[in-house]
Amino acid sequence: MYDIKPLEAEWKAYQNKKKKPYYLVLLGITLLTLVSVLLYKKNIIFDGYLNKLDNGGKNIFPKKDVSSISSILVNKGLVRLEVLNSSEEEPINQLAKTSDMLVDIPILDIKEKSEVVDDNRKKVHLNIIETSSVSAYEDVEKRFHQSHDIDDALFLARSYYKKGNYDKSESWAYEVNKIDNNLEEGLLIFIKSKVKLGRKNDALSLIKNYLKKSNSTEAKNLLYKIENNKL
Amino acid sequence: MKSRYEAAKNVFVDSIDIDDYIELNSSVTAYQQLQHSMEKPLKMILLFGRPGTGKSILLNRIQEKLKHQKEIYYFDTPAPTEKEFFQKLFKVLTQKDLPKNTEVNFSALIDFCKNLRNKREIIILLDEAQMYDSGIMEKIRLLSDTRAIKFVVSLHKTEDEDLIAKEHFQSRIWEIIELKNATKEDQTAYVHKKLLKKNLFEIANSIKSKDMKLIHKFTKGNYRECNKLMFTIFEICEYYDTHEPSNINYSHMPRKIIEMSALKLGYIHV
Repeated sequence: MYDIKPLEAEWKAYQNKKKKPYYLVLLGITLLTLVSVLLYKKNIIFDGYLNKLDNGGKNIFPKKDVSSISSILVNKGLVRLEVLNSSEEEPINQLAKTSDMLVDIPILDIKEKSEVVDDNRKKVHLNIIETSSVSAYEDVEKRFHQSHDIDDALFLARSYYKKGNYDKSESWAYEVNKIDNNLEEGLLIFIKSKVKLGRKNDALSLIKNYLKKSNSTEAKNLLYKIENNKL
Repeated sequence: MKSRYEAAKNVFVDSIDIDDYIELNSSVTAYQQLQHSMEKPLKMILLFGRPGTGKSILLNRIQEKLKHQKEIYYFDTPAPTEKEFFQKLFKVLTQKDLPKNTEVNFSALIDFCKNLRNKREIIILLDEAQMYDSGIMEKIRLLSDTRAIKFVVSLHKTEDEDLIAKEHFQSRIWEIIELKNATKEDQTAYVHKKLLKKNLFEIANSIKSKDMKLIHKFTKGNYRECNKLMFTIFEICEYYDTHEPSNINYSHMPRKIIEMSALKLGYIHV
């Protein structure tokens, strides 16, 4: 017996060949099971939907609505929305009795959509670029002299105060006050600038006068800070 | 050191040696049937069966058993020519060799046979009779008509040989004995008895019923094929026993080895 090794190899090949049908059958069964499970699940969804539509042989909604549906979920959702808007209680109750999740899906979709809209709104914001460039302030000053826009004046007063240029912040706050003497922010910047420039008494006199005709908390806080030297 | 499987392998070397004869239920039946037919005043008996069903060994067995009771001759392989066949027959009938450079006169032979009627009862067992040409077969038919010689004609069972049987012997054959392939039980007994005959009971015991089922499936119950398969099985066992003993289990025959043998002999294919 000299050919034992080739014979062994041949036997291994034979074994593989012999097992092949079993592997194929196993694969077939697996695929069949998978397909069955998928079809079964799909049928549950559609059966549930159809059962809902055909409740005891009576359609809740007109047949034409169902047959013309290109997308079950969307149209169902529309029906639901219509029902809510028109306040027709009977279909609402019937739908509410069902335990099928599909009923809620369109609502969720709507919510999702509204959330998307909200998100978009949130995303819209102004890109305020802070700059220390002198020319930028000059441009705003130039624009103010042309337009006398109170927002420009307030912007300049606020900015100069923040930068510690209290002469200019006092001057621009005065401009704001000239345009609108009821705008509290302009007055407060004017008073704070006076304090910073060492004219504390003027500042106290101004704010006390203002508090006589206003009950502003911010003004009260400012008064407290000035009196206690905490500004 | 010799493998224990070497002896087992040699048990299944195909032969028609009478010592290798295994008495099985089916072979005993066939034997009795043939013996019974030979008692009858029949001219020709046809022993029929596919190759490897045990025709030759049955003829041998019957010749061996009856040689002291009857004038029985076994012609194993057919003579290549008609001349040689009749020379052989002449010797059987006359107990003498034919003188050199002489031929048998068939008419004289017929007359001689007619004279033997009721004096001698000669039985000639013709093995592999499908190899005789139609001329010889016709003369055999005429000789059987003398009723001095009884022929047991052993034929392979194929469609062509069926025709030979019909053409030459139909009217003269009084009895047909057909040997069939062994059943699983017969084949199991055959294998086990063969091994036990050589005291290889451990090996015989290692061949279980399921193994025999497989062997029977591969060989379809044919004794010659069974011998071939068993020989190959033990040849592979011998190799493993000598070179890779881990592949051998003395208590049972690995299915792998049976299948490898079947592959080697072409019973199964990759």
